[in-house]
Amino acid sequence: MKRVAIIGYAVSRLEWDAEKTREEAVFEVAREAMRSAGIEREDLGTAISASTDFLDGRTISNCMLIGASGAYLKDESKAEEDGMYAALYAAQRIMSGVHDVALAVSHTHSWIFNPHQVTQYMLEPWFDRQNELLNEITLAALQARLYMSRSGADEEHLAEVCVKNLRNAAKNPAAFRKMADVTVEEVLESRLYSSPLTELMIAPPCDGAAAVILASEEAAKEFCDDPVWIRGIGNACDRYLRDRDLGRLDSLRIAAERAYRMAGIEEPFRQIDVAEVTERFAHQEFMAYEALGFCREGMGKVLIEEGMTEVYGEIPVNPSGGALSGDPVCATGMIRLIEAVRQIRGETENQVEECRTALAHAQWGLCAQKNLVFILGDRL
Amino acid sequence: MGVDRYSGLPFVARFRWNVGKTMEKFYRSFAEKKILAARCEKCGYTVVPPRQICPKCYSTISEENLVELSGKGVVESLTEVAFKLDGKGGYIWLEKPELLAAIRLEGASSTIFARVEGEAKVGSEVEPVWAEKIEGKPSDLISFKVVE
Repeated sequence: MKRVAIIGYAVSRLEWDAEKTREEAVFEVAREAMRSAGIEREDLGTAISASTDFLDGRTISNCMLIGASGAYLKDESKAEEDGMYAALYAAQRIMSGVHDVALAVSHTHSWIFNPHQVTQYMLEPWFDRQNELLNEITLAALQARLYMSRSGADEEHLAEVCVKNLRNAAKNPAAFRKMADVTVEEVLESRLYSSPLTELMIAPPCDGAAAVILASEEAAKEFCDDPVWIRGIGNACDRYLRDRDLGRLDSLRIAAERAYRMAGIEEPFRQIDVAEVTERFAHQEFMAYEALGFCREGMGKVLIEEGMTEVYGEIPVNPSGGALSGDPVCATGMIRLIEAVRQIRGETENQVEECRTALAHAQWGLCAQKNLVFILGDRL
Repeated sequence: MGVDRYSGLPFVARFRWNVGKTMEKFYRSFAEKKILAARCEKCGYTVVPPRQICPKCYSTISEENLVELSGKGVVESLTEVAFKLDGKGGYIWLEKPELLAAIRLEGASSTIFARVEGEAKVGSEVEPVWAEKIEGKPSDLISFKVVE
């Protein structure tokens, strides 16, 4: 199996009602990612995009984006999910030896239609979709309560996750929701959507695009002075809502175990220097701490209480601000991957010292049904 | 300022699905105020609404293995919902929040999500609230209420 590196990337500024077409947004990040990797369009073997028909309001949502991503007449394909899955498929194409250089690109313009409304289409249509109260937010609220009743975490703990991430975001020029001085009280007093979840505990949908260039070992050494290596990958999808334990992220635990095994990581708390996770709702960051093995089950709140996941802590999580600082749905996980790359290269605004091993996480589906983990390193 | 936007939607989609034989039985038995589940012969997993394939062990569940549940259940999780989505992406803010629960029905292994009435808490025992006129349709089962 060939080794794979990330050699270039680009992220757009996350905003609301971006004054550009999605074709322009995708073109800008694709071109910038290629420029940062030092490659030309001719060097590109394959391109995989990530977008969603329902969010874009078009069937075949990559229609008109193939040109924008420089992929005409190339081995092109689309993932109907987070862009980190596009990166996974691109990595697999390189591992197989079929291609040497790949582009993975993702975008969502949330402004065009409310993504939370679209999540009702993720519900099984015969029974759950008959219940007008069910959507991504209310189901996440049920998940939060279930997690809280088991772990003893309370609303203030959830608010502390928001405070950490929104303050981190204040230094991130690309972030959408930045609140340098936000307090626990302000989070708790923001508009209640579905208890315990208030507005600031819900990742804000926004417009954005992101792209990464992946390369085989030979190509990486040819084009790039500081490639970031993909050392481990794990992916797992859980059962449908009604048949899974919503209070645990079993699929994330399994995905992490697979990625750790591939990367040779035995003690994640000690061996991982930084983690960028997709916490679409505040409680999911705690659930991620536990599923990723950073602490024992139910102990996520202790990591926040002790400041261990702050930028200066033992295991910094979401120094970029995470999904709570901006959720351009299909690009959100890919941005976590790019932030992990930037940490290893020492390029971030909230830089973790001596960062050599980073974890990136993407999720998809209601209550994080599907989870993907990448382990990145500064060497093979 | 900025650029103009146009809606390019030429139709409003109202999808209709065939629910399949098992779900049809499930809904038709609402006419007798019955809630049916499918119990897997092989692993014992009991799924409601019923399915033809066990979501746990993938065995086929035949029609003889449809079982009637008591209808009573326990609230596993609960949220006060302050909004509804209007179908067009907008929010309708409710004057009075509605309670939505994850309920484990007696004898079932899977969870269902339903509106609940009354002073429900996590752990409360609940029972179905049926419509006055029942006709074997999804609308027959209005909600659940706390057992007095």
